[in-house]
Amino acid sequence: MFGRYERDLVYADPEVNLRIDQAGTIPVYIRECNGTRIEKYLGTDYDAIHICPVEPVNLPQEITHHLEIAFPTLVLPPAAQKTIYLKFPVEIGVFFEFRHEMSVLDIFSLVPTKFSLYGPPSNGVITRWYQSALFHKIPETELHREGALELSLVNHCTETVEVTRAVFDSHHMNLFYGDRVGMTGTMEILSPLIALTTFAPTAPAGCPNKSIDLYTSRKFAVGPGKGYMMESGMA
Amino acid sequence: MIMQGLPNSTVVISTLSDETNLIGTASTREIVTFFILLIIAYIVGLILAHYFKLKLSHRLKPDQLALLTRFVRVFLILLVFVFSLPGFFDLSVTIFALILVALIAIIGISSQKVISNMVGGLAMLYENPFKTGDFISTGEVSGTVISTRLFSVLIRTTSGVHVQIPNDQIYSSDVSNFFAHVARRYDYVVGIRYEDDVKKTTSIIAGILKEYTFVLANPAPDVFVSDIDADSVRVMFRVWFPSVWAKTKDDISLQTAILPRVKAALEAEGIEMPYAHREILFTNPIGDQSGTGTTQNRDNFFGKLE
Repeated sequence: MFGRYERDLVYADPEVNLRIDQAGTIPVYIRECNGTRIEKYLGTDYDAIHICPVEPVNLPQEITHHLEIAFPTLVLPPAAQKTIYLKFPVEIGVFFEFRHEMSVLDIFSLVPTKFSLYGPPSNGVITRWYQSALFHKIPETELHREGALELSLVNHCTETVEVTRAVFDSHHMNLFYGDRVGMTGTMEILSPLIALTTFAPTAPAGCPNKSIDLYTSRKFAVGPGKGYMMESGMA
Repeated sequence: MIMQGLPNSTVVISTLSDETNLIGTASTREIVTFFILLIIAYIVGLILAHYFKLKLSHRLKPDQLALLTRFVRVFLILLVFVFSLPGFFDLSVTIFALILVALIAIIGISSQKVISNMVGGLAMLYENPFKTGDFISTGEVSGTVISTRLFSVLIRTTSGVHVQIPNDQIYSSDVSNFFAHVARRYDYVVGIRYEDDVKKTTSIIAGILKEYTFVLANPAPDVFVSDIDADSVRVMFRVWFPSVWAKTKDDISLQTAILPRVKAALEAEGIEMPYAHREILFTNPIGDQSGTGTTQNRDNFFGKLE
């Protein structure tokens, strides 16, 4: 499904049916998926259609821009470094290109959405929540449902810590796709309660194509500005 | 000394000029300049407001942006007054400022309610108990804050009524802000029959809550028996959800989303929500001399009534 479609878009599999029809001179984008049918009339001409995974924080409505992945307990002694693999949900973005400008046409997902709260209600954040198993190598994933995150953890503090979740800011995500959807991230544990999560701009193996970013980080960030500071613990 | 050397015609013009002073010692030219400066300050204020809207609307909240633009516009107009008006009366800026303060004091004493509202507004701007778009409840009124002004707060109720509440009234009463925190809890109670399986009921409800998108995974929902009353076993479930999603005080989204699913799922499993019922036993049954209030006697009684 992922890729660039010149003018004519026709894609069909047992779960998703995407196409562009013509209503007179007006192009109509049609998506049939999960028992629903979406129709959108394009108010302009277009040069191409792009379909790629996008930051998984948009559905069913924009409530948060944080992704939380919960996983089985990982114990990290002081100064330990470990690379693990986690799965994350995939949201699919459909863009139309016109005169080198990209516009979002549709975002959908084949995975149910669940939200959670990280931190206390008074100053915590709502997160898009996903439960993943913990893998020691790149896991097999269903291309249109799940991606694989390579997460490198480093414990900089002097105590042993237990980690059961990682929270990320979607503004810093670097999504790639190809045979699978993938990201590379890091988690630097600074104290038993504080960790910094970031994303690397490098493409993981098997994911040569960079996705179109819906959210981009601030150009003039105050402070670290390169990731999300988890300040309410990791367990 | 200079006037001594001038012809009589100049003296006449000077006298005419004095006669044409409209305010204090201000000449027509100064007054015209004052009004031109006022118009310029007004236009510059509008341009700056537009500029702030373009450049800062994604960084500031709407009410903060409105306050900033209002402040800049008022400041520009005040500048024109402060630097133009003293010249009209041959006054220094300091004396003019003193007169201004005295005027404000007089107006303040004569309009205490207005000042009280203004102070309330300033206090609320400082304490920031809510912002535009929040859903609040104060006194008898609940609704979405449309704007926070210097003297009052505008609220749109869920039934679409526009309510204006004076700031001092809000500041001196309890205000509940349903958007202040990112998540909120909502409680439900469902009654089931005594003979229904409680464990199965809680398991079904927990399953529905786990599947539903807007019920937060953490804090996890609680499902438990909260009471056993005369008619039913009361099962309570408490769920947390994102505040921005429900948007109202009565959490109508949660009610419409969760309760019908729970009812349908329980009924599908044969668990029913009982009607309130009473069993009446007669110690002196009708038409029976045995003295035992049996069901048969009761049926006979209702049969006779029919």
